[in-house]
This record gives sequence, C-alpha cells and structure tokens, in this order.
Amino acid sequence: MEAIPRDACLGNDDAVIATNDDASTCKRCAVDLGYWSDPYIHYFVKSTDRKAPEINRGYYARTIAIQSLVEKFIDITSGKCQIVNIGAGFDTLYWRLKDSGRVVKEFYELDFPSVTSRKCLYIQRSKPLLQGISHEDHDIKLNRNNLHAYNYKLIGVDLRNLKEVEEKLKESDIEFQIPTIFLAECVLVYMNITKSSQLLRWITQSFKSVLFINYEMVNLHDRFGEVMLNNLRCRGCDLQGAETCRDLNTQETRFTKEGWAGAEASDMLSIWGRLPPEEISRVTQIEMLDEQELLLQLFSHYCITLAWNDSRWAEVQL
Amino acid sequence: METISEENVAKAEEFKNEANDFFKNQKYDQAIELYTEAINLNPNIAIYYGNRSFAYLKTECFGYALQDATKALELDKTYIKGYYRRASAYMSLGKFKLALKDYETVYKTRPNDKDAKMKYTECQKIVKVMLFQKAIAVDDEKKPVSDSINLEAMDVEEDYSGPRLDDGEVTETFMLALMEHYKAQKKLHRKFAYKILLDIKKYFSSQQSLVDVEIPENSKFTVCGDIHGQFYDLMNIFELNGLPSIDNPYLFNGDFVDRGSFSVECIFVLFGFKLLYPDHFYMSRGNHESATMNQMYGFEGEVKSKYSGQMAEVFTEVYNWLPLCHCLNGRVLVMHGGLFSEDGVTLEDIRKTDRNRQPPEQGIMCDLLWSDPMPSMGRAPSKRGVGVQFGPDVTESFLSVNNLDYIIRSHEVKPEGYEVAHNGKCITVFSAPNYCDTMGNKGAFITMTGGKMIPKYTTYEAVDHPPVKPMAYANSILSLLAG
Repeated sequence: MEAIPRDACLGNDDAVIATNDDASTCKRCAVDLGYWSDPYIHYFVKSTDRKAPEINRGYYARTIAIQSLVEKFIDITSGKCQIVNIGAGFDTLYWRLKDSGRVVKEFYELDFPSVTSRKCLYIQRSKPLLQGISHEDHDIKLNRNNLHAYNYKLIGVDLRNLKEVEEKLKESDIEFQIPTIFLAECVLVYMNITKSSQLLRWITQSFKSVLFINYEMVNLHDRFGEVMLNNLRCRGCDLQGAETCRDLNTQETRFTKEGWAGAEASDMLSIWGRLPPEEISRVTQIEMLDEQELLLQLFSHYCITLAWNDSRWAEVQL
Repeated sequence: METISEENVAKAEEFKNEANDFFKNQKYDQAIELYTEAINLNPNIAIYYGNRSFAYLKTECFGYALQDATKALELDKTYIKGYYRRASAYMSLGKFKLALKDYETVYKTRPNDKDAKMKYTECQKIVKVMLFQKAIAVDDEKKPVSDSINLEAMDVEEDYSGPRLDDGEVTETFMLALMEHYKAQKKLHRKFAYKILLDIKKYFSSQQSLVDVEIPENSKFTVCGDIHGQFYDLMNIFELNGLPSIDNPYLFNGDFVDRGSFSVECIFVLFGFKLLYPDHFYMSRGNHESATMNQMYGFEGEVKSKYSGQMAEVFTEVYNWLPLCHCLNGRVLVMHGGLFSEDGVTLEDIRKTDRNRQPPEQGIMCDLLWSDPMPSMGRAPSKRGVGVQFGPDVTESFLSVNNLDYIIRSHEVKPEGYEVAHNGKCITVFSAPNYCDTMGNKGAFITMTGGKMIPKYTTYEAVDHPPVKPMAYANSILSLLAG
C-alpha cells in the first residue's frame, strides 16, 4: 500500500486533535448501545453511525479498565489524591467518578487550547456538567481555554512545552507531595521521544508519589502494527513515539530509563481476561461478534502500562 | 436436600448479610460474590438465590437472574419476591407472556397489594400491544416488499449519466460501463438497481439449495472467497484473472458485503454478472448475507445511505434465496462456512433444505454458513457461538459418504489468503486482502480445470481505494482506537 505523501496530509497537530473527535464519537456509540454508563458524553458529541462491534468492545475494555484502576487508587488514598489527565480531550471521567461517590482533592485535565476551548464551551452550556464541578464555596473562573472550579481544572497547553506545563500546573495550585495519578490515553505516542521522555522525567522528579497510567499502542513491529502505522500516517497522524510501542518491554523501559522505580505493561487481551466474568458476559451479549480474529488482533496491539515512583502503587492492579 | 452443619448455616447467613450491605451500597459485583459464598455453604435457602437474582438484574445479567429466581421458587413456592425477580428477568429478556404469568401469581396471592396489581396491569398492556403488533406484522410478512416495487413509476432523470438497462436486460456493455461508473464512485440509478434485484430474486428462487455445476474437461474454473465490500480488490481480481465470461466462469463463495465500504458496488457487479452469464457465474450465501449481520457490520447502513430502507428490505428477501452450496462436477463441494454438527449428511439433504429464511441458530443451513474446520479430531463447539468446529475425520467421513474429493470453504481470514487443511481435503479461500484495512493479509483465489480439478492458488495484496470517511457505514477499523 502506498503511503500518502506527508504534505498531502493534515498538519500533524490537527490530525492528532481529530483523534479526540473520533474517540468521542466511538465512545458515544458504545454508550448508546449500553456498553457502559456515561450520562455526560452526549453533551460533548453527537450521535453518529453505528461502529463495528470490535470498536465498541475495544473502547469498553479501555474505559472500564482505566476507571477501575483510578477508582482503586482513590479508594486506597481515601480521596486524598490528585488526578492529572494529559491529552484528556472530551473525557468524562471526572463526572463519572463523582457519580460513583468518589471525590478527589484536585482533578486536572490538560489538552491543546483548541480542544479545551471547546470543552469549556460544552461545560458552560450544560447544567449537569456545570453542577458536577460546582461547589458552594467556590466560583467557577474561566477564560477562553481554561476553566478553574473547586476541584476541577481544565488547562489549555501544549504538552511539548514542558516549561509552560509546569507553570500552568503551579498556577492552578497543584501539589507535589500528595499521591497523584497521571493518566494518558494515546497521547505520548504522538510526541517525539525526546519530548515525551522529558515530560516523564519531570513528572517523576517533581512529584513525590505518582502512579502513571498509560494506554497506548504496542507490538507495532508485526504486520498488523505495520498496517496500523500506515493507516494512521495516511490520516496525518505520524506516530513519532512508535519506537516506544515496539513491545511491552519498551513500554516499561521508557519509564524506568527516566528514573521511575517500576513499570508494568499488559496488553488489552490480558486486561480483558481480568475483567469480572459477569461484566464480560453482559458485554458479549450486547453485540455478537461474527469472528474473533479482528478483536484479538486489536487487543494484542494496545496495552496499559502502569508506572510508579512510590512502591505503594505497585499494588494498584486490575 | 443434604443437611448443612449448624456452623455453615450460620456462616452462610453472615455472608448473606455482608452481601446485603454491599447491595445497599450498589456494589453489586461484590454482593454477587458473597451471595455465591452463602449458596456454596448452604444451597437450600431461597432468599440467597432471590437476592443474587436481584443483584444480577442490577448488573443486567438477565440469564443468570432468571436461573436464580427459578431456583429460588423451586426451593420455596411461596417466596413472593422470587416471582417478582423472575418476572423482571422475563421482562428484560422480552418474554412478556411469561412475566405476566408470574405477576398474575403474585396478584392472585395478594389481591390487595397495590404494587402487585400495578405491575400486573402494566405487563398486561405490554403483552396486548405486542400481540397486536404481531397480528399486523403477520399480514405484512405474507407480502414481500419486493412485490410492491413499481419500476414503471420510477423515472430516470435527464442528467443521469450512468449505465442503463436497455430493455431491462444486462449486457456486456452494461457491465463494463457499470464497473467504470463504480470506479469513479458514482451511483447506479435505483430503477436499474431494483430491476437487477427483482430479476436476481426471480432467478435464485428457481434454484435448489445445492447447485450442481458442470465444468467441461480442460475448462478453467475460478473460486473466490469473501469479498466483504472491497470493490477495488474485486476489480483487481478481474484484472489478474480476467473478467467473467462464458470461457471464464467464477464462483463467489459468500460474504460479498459488510465491513468494507463499497458493498453496494460489489453486490451489484456480482448480481449483474450472474444475470449476464447465469450458467457461468455462481454465488453462494455467506453468513453475512443476513439481516442481523447487515445491521451490525455496515451493509444496511450503506444501502440506506445510498438508496433507501426499502431497498435494504429487498436485499434481505433476495439474500434469503441465495443457494447454500455448489457441487462441482460431482466431486468438489463448495460452501461458505463448513461441515455439519452431525454425521451422515448427504447432498440430497442439502438440496432439500428450506433456505428461504434468515439463517437459523442450528441445523444444516446454519452449519453451512457458520462452521469452521479445526486441526483436532471430532467436533467442538464453535468459537463464534454459532455452528460447529469439525475435524479431519468429519471431513473424511462426509467426503466418503458423498463420493467427493475435497471441500472448498471461506469464512476465515488467512494471512496468505488461503489455507489447506485436513490433509488437503478442506481448503479455505479468502479473497479480501488487508481485511478491514487492518489485518494486512493477502487475498487469494483458486483456479482449476475440469477433469483433474486440482486447485491452484493465486495470491495478491490489497490495492488502494478512495479514502471513504472512516466513520461511514459502521465499518472500517481504520479509525481503530487511536484517540
């Protein structure tokens, strides 16, 4: 298959930003079919054509796994923790956690200003989203790309600009000493490796007790991975960090090389196997898969890596 | 009923109480675990099953909820809540009449219970509406949608530049023009589209479920597997192997549509060639030539987008008439899925199978469309949940009973586009390369000559196709999970 020439593609940033729109519509589709409960996604994205069942299951596995891990962390720390979601897009985790009765000290979402400005707008426009972030003692402050609420902060920033990231987090009263989750879903891979390594190094050096949850591609060295890379390239998404997605091992060492104490990567196939059997049973009955091949391949090419600089978080598992 | 030690009776109660607490806090999965512990220690208490049933209802495991409610009632017929739980499970499973029976039982036992009465009346209403709808539907079902298509009333606009069916007949000129028209991503006028569909339906409805194909000695014959809406790859097959003709006959072995973005183009080209060369162009039904698959995997969406919901319904009727199986020179059997759940199936059995329906969940028609070969002997349940896995001994036995040399089937993506299994007796051919724009596999087709009937394999890579929006038609795993 010929690759489309670089200059014929969207600028890389725009293409990366577009992945948020894709992901959001896919999540909405899955939610509408009953894969998981999310009463908030429809405020961010319209309903579109039905997606292939593999896509629905894929997003289900990822969403549930990440939510479970975050919930475990919050429960262990009794809510005395922070969550920083980098490249958050239109994620609704903050509101879903609140619904499950979980409150954290601070919840930060970072993304390109063109994304956060839209998110700001959607939040302002919908009562349930506003109510979720409201607190009697605290006014909501916002400008075009940023929103500061009681324990929810939406920040427009380019993650490749580490200085700015640091500044903006400090401005938003981030604490460096308390247990913190950093969450990234298909984000680091779009940055060049120098930049992403820099970011990871800064995080472990600046925060005393961090757990990093990284959802991303993996095993890209095989035929399927090759085709995936090419497909994404044709859409203008250059996976600059593809080398770190070579296998589970490289996904772990990218952390340990930057000074993290430990890291453990699992592909989505093994994660799927760790989900509660009743859930698997429920979900597999929503849509029948005509064949397993495609799903198996998809699951084998995405992984969740957990990395920590505080040995307590080695315990946070599915 | 076995006697339970006092200790275990008490322990079980403890587990139940703990479970109830979790339930109150909406932690249903943990509640289920603990009810299970209680049941393991003391399986004689209706309430344990009743409560677990409730928790299953909350987690939408309606099958398990039903099981537990039934068990609870087996243990104690007077356990009112058991009827409620079972009725809820039945409601969720769409079994309204059965739910009504249970609500009726409660209502009769407690005629003054307002809640019981309300549930009973509500359920009654639903059942009434359902029966009414069924009654109207039965009339509609008797009359096929295709019968109501009025071709004469369809006008072709002046500015339509696509191919036309002169005198309503497919010609070679028409097919050549159609393929060019499609390559340019244009649409065939619905009048001609419907004409093709109506003619195809008429043709196939006169065929048996098993079609005998005669291949003269030294004549070439080509068998292709799944196409899955990959129109440009279909054009590439014709490029590599020549266009269909009297001298170049083809058999396409099912799964023409779904998953790929150009299913409409594929199916009309294939149907067109069928009408043009009825005795030299063959099509088998695949599991994707069915309504449920088309709803989930893109074909219905594509037809609705390019034409209308009415045409989608006509397709369903047309697919119901596709033959299930082809027998080449009495020696090679070709079907989409595979062989059978039981021994002793004959070609005559297949010929007589009533196929004008959606594929059933078991039986000859189901197996033909859904089964897969496996390396080990005997049979095993299908990984897909429908059909069966069959071993080399099953293949051997079937071939022997029916005097056949080997079978060709499709249905499974293979890295090289084909695979030879069961000591050469079971060949898989899959013609959609880089399936779903994702798998990176090669496609393949089989050629043979009448007489020797030895299979030869041609493999090929995917060709480029226009970048149809990934979100279109519920297909194209191109969008992946990359965001």
